[in-house]
Amino acid sequence: MTLQTARLAVATSNKRTTVSRLRGWVYAAPTALFVIVLFVLPLILVFRMSASQWPLLAGDQGINLPDNYVNAVDNRFFWDSVRFTLKYTVLATILLITLGLGLAMLVQESSRWKGFLRTSFLVPSALGLASASLLFYVLYSPLAGPFAPIMNHFGWTFLGTPNAALASTLFLIVWRYAGFYMLLMLVGLQAIPSEIYEAARMDGASRWHTFRSITIPLLKPTLALTTILCVTGSLLAFEQFYILTKGGPDNSTITVVELIYSVAFQGQNDLGVAAAISVMVLAALVVINVVQLRAFRGSGEN
Amino acid sequence: MRITRTRSTGRGLITGLVTAGLLVSLAACTSAKDDDTTSGGASAAVTAGTDGTDDGSTLTLWTRAPLEKQANLLVDAYNASHENQVELTVVPNDDYVAKVGAAAGSGGLPDLFAADIVYVPNWVKQGLFQDLTAQIDALNYKDTINKGHLAAGTQDGKEHVLPFVLDLSMLFWNKDLYKEAGLDPEKGPADLTEYVANAKAIQALNKPDTYGTATGLNCGGCLVFTWFPSVWADGDQVMNPEGTESLLASDTATSVYSAWKDMWDAGAVLPSSKDEAGPTWTAGFTEGKVGQMLYPATLLSSTTGFDVGVAGIPGPKGGASTFVGGDGIGVSKDSTKASQAWNFLSWMMSEDAQVEVLAKDNDVVSRSDLADNVYAQKDPRLVTINTVAGQGDTPVSLNFQQAFNAPNSPWLTLVRNAVLGDGSSVDPDNDEITAVLSQ
Amino acid sequence: MTTTTERPAVAPSRTAPTTRVGGVAMRTPFWVFSGALAVIFLFPLVWTSVSSVSPHPGTGQVDGWGFGNYATLAHYQAGIGQYLANSVFVSGLCVILTLLISTLGGYAFARFRFPGRNLLFMVTLAILMVPYASLLIPLYVLLNKVGLSNSLVGVALVLTMFQLPFSTFMMRISFESVPRELDEAALVDGCSSFSALWRVLLPAVRPGLITVGLFAFLAAWNDFFAPLILINDTNKMTLPLAVSNLRVQVQGVVDYGATEAGVVVLAVPCIVLFLLLQRHYVRGFMSGALKG
Repeated sequence: MTLQTARLAVATSNKRTTVSRLRGWVYAAPTALFVIVLFVLPLILVFRMSASQWPLLAGDQGINLPDNYVNAVDNRFFWDSVRFTLKYTVLATILLITLGLGLAMLVQESSRWKGFLRTSFLVPSALGLASASLLFYVLYSPLAGPFAPIMNHFGWTFLGTPNAALASTLFLIVWRYAGFYMLLMLVGLQAIPSEIYEAARMDGASRWHTFRSITIPLLKPTLALTTILCVTGSLLAFEQFYILTKGGPDNSTITVVELIYSVAFQGQNDLGVAAAISVMVLAALVVINVVQLRAFRGSGEN
Repeated sequence: MRITRTRSTGRGLITGLVTAGLLVSLAACTSAKDDDTTSGGASAAVTAGTDGTDDGSTLTLWTRAPLEKQANLLVDAYNASHENQVELTVVPNDDYVAKVGAAAGSGGLPDLFAADIVYVPNWVKQGLFQDLTAQIDALNYKDTINKGHLAAGTQDGKEHVLPFVLDLSMLFWNKDLYKEAGLDPEKGPADLTEYVANAKAIQALNKPDTYGTATGLNCGGCLVFTWFPSVWADGDQVMNPEGTESLLASDTATSVYSAWKDMWDAGAVLPSSKDEAGPTWTAGFTEGKVGQMLYPATLLSSTTGFDVGVAGIPGPKGGASTFVGGDGIGVSKDSTKASQAWNFLSWMMSEDAQVEVLAKDNDVVSRSDLADNVYAQKDPRLVTINTVAGQGDTPVSLNFQQAFNAPNSPWLTLVRNAVLGDGSSVDPDNDEITAVLSQ
Repeated sequence: MTTTTERPAVAPSRTAPTTRVGGVAMRTPFWVFSGALAVIFLFPLVWTSVSSVSPHPGTGQVDGWGFGNYATLAHYQAGIGQYLANSVFVSGLCVILTLLISTLGGYAFARFRFPGRNLLFMVTLAILMVPYASLLIPLYVLLNKVGLSNSLVGVALVLTMFQLPFSTFMMRISFESVPRELDEAALVDGCSSFSALWRVLLPAVRPGLITVGLFAFLAAWNDFFAPLILINDTNKMTLPLAVSNLRVQVQGVVDYGATEAGVVVLAVPCIVLFLLLQRHYVRGFMSGALKG
């Protein structure tokens, strides 16, 4: 009798897990279908391209491994673009994370004025990156922009020197994304129980001290997420430079994805080499993200 | 519950099938593409009568956005007078190659498409255009068709491309500013030395926001378009005939650079020219703030509000030449209506289209026998432009875009070092161009 | 934790009682500072809107104020109405598909354990790590094979795929933040898992749905590259493509007026939606409490 019940129980629980598994798959099926058909399959084709001689206009000419990878690394802008992309990523991440956090703390409490501030910081996020880049393209223009008289007077332009071009592009990115990161930070801040702050205040901790020893550690999950998002996004930066600087002046602002685009569509027209760089970028991003996840998880445990 | 289960297996099956189907078709498509490249392209010849077929077919035509106006005029006029109907697609300039590339790789090119004439040799070699030799040779006015465009589309003696829209680089000057500076408003500079002197004279007016000249020092295409003619005007060449070696370190070329360096150092060049990557390079002149400029002839109609003089581009020692740019057009390898497409092309070259459509709109005609037409006679500047067109040149090289037009081209490096820098690295920079050209 | 150990011997009173006047004096720098920040963030938008109707040589509005640039835009080729309709169609379809797929997917990831769950989730997130440009040529080839080339549906499908990492992630944490008791109670009451999702859970994750829908709309509305490569027919172009075509004239000369007008026309629907839904999507982020 008892044996029977036990067996029955085992049977039902087995049955329940199978059913739950199947149900899970039913619900996940559309996602799987989309991801496999529209992402995994094209990705496989990208891998194949990277291993084949594949001119843009002529199509597949057969396997030529590892020529494309060698050619990619030998490209005269390869290392420059890697260096510039890393530099841009570090700067953009630092700026966006600190500004996002700063703005979030600025508008944290709710009041009318702060609600207005929050909205003004967020509105630029509604624009597409391409529209935003076009907008700044006109804004920075020494002909049609509002700063044209000043620029003419000092003989200086927003996109004229490598450093100015980088700074101007960073400003565009901050303008477009700071509100979004502020929002993510706000969510993280909201999750910190106010009792902890209360306790710190009772203990007489200074503001800076509270920030360093309470806000930052408790915000770690949010910081991890935003950093990973920001690093991944910045390493793939393309549109802002494509529209604003075209890689100039003097080839100083070529990002890796821009290099991919120019190898594929501007001149060399070699999809094989472009795919090879894409594969390297993907591999690098996977490694970087795994390292970041480990680092955040590791420091979280300490 | 049971329903859910069967449904899930069903859906799983479908997913599997779709995936498998796609994998198979992907494999099929790559092999099909191989066939395309071997059978299509240069080897397939169009067989049709002199005028092609006008049987009410629908033809597709792609062009890049800068030529939209002319393309629209031609297409509208053709559609109004023919059974065949042409559907036009306009593509943003910077992304045209990407779009053509995506389509070419999978057999999706339109019946007809235009290409920047400097890309044409490469695209012909890749087999994107059908062979039109028989049809072109049958035209009784073949000898009058612009030589540069025809040559760009000719490979191994086979012709693939006709001129679609011609764009010439010319010397433009603002007569009002010339008068103010005490220069003869009816006479342009005879050589580059005079050009430099005039630029400085206009600069010396010290008018606010007004400069002697302007150009696009960060725009490879603009510089090719406006500086190569100065080299040709002196009878020199920019590349060897095969287009594999750069000759841009010659004495003539060097004196062109130093003329510009002279003007730049004297502050006679619009300051924003330094970073100008193309989008606004002509705006200063159009707004009347620049005294003289090497400028695209297609923009003649946009210079309103002041009087403009036009001449060919002089070299350091005089002479006159022009870069015959613009776009060539041909029948694509993927077209199944080659005979109908030829009907459009042959009409496009006819006097009806050249004079009654293009010349009427103040555009340059592609046939020298029609240069002196009724519309051109109303504006002597157009006669000048049409005449200089015959003395111009179109450079032909497979890697032209990469060497000169691309945003990160070695040609840009050469010019920037020579004009903005100290000018000491012309030789090594020129070798860098040769390295790209000879790839 | 460290605060307690490093507690200073004498606790100084940091929060001195401020008088009303002192309070205002203290807050003035804050107002000035934050106001300046708001101006910096709003200025580019305001300037563009104003200068799109102001005169500038070489544009559709040469003298006097007016809507000349918008007229240029409105009469471009097939007319702006056609492009707006195409954009609305693509964005609408993309929003519907994204909502549908990510709701089902988020529910699956949050509530069920099934083989391949983590793998599928990671692969979905990996979409973020591949350069957009590299995938489009293979996608073009693929859509050609299934007869979806040159079709707005194809564009919507591709855009939906690119939305999946964010939306699946968002819906997963939204479902996870709903107490399990809620749907278990519904299941005990005899609901199937689907009706539990439909009747009980969906209302609970509404802020998440609005956030996902809004972001899908913004992405689809503004996207330029997918329609560029995938659409051949002028009558099927979307608005960003038309604006981009209009921008550049002969020899690459830019029409600044048309560009500004285009940016405004592209931005206005986004900003309006954004403001209308602001409260909801802020809550959408909050309710997820983003667990990383």
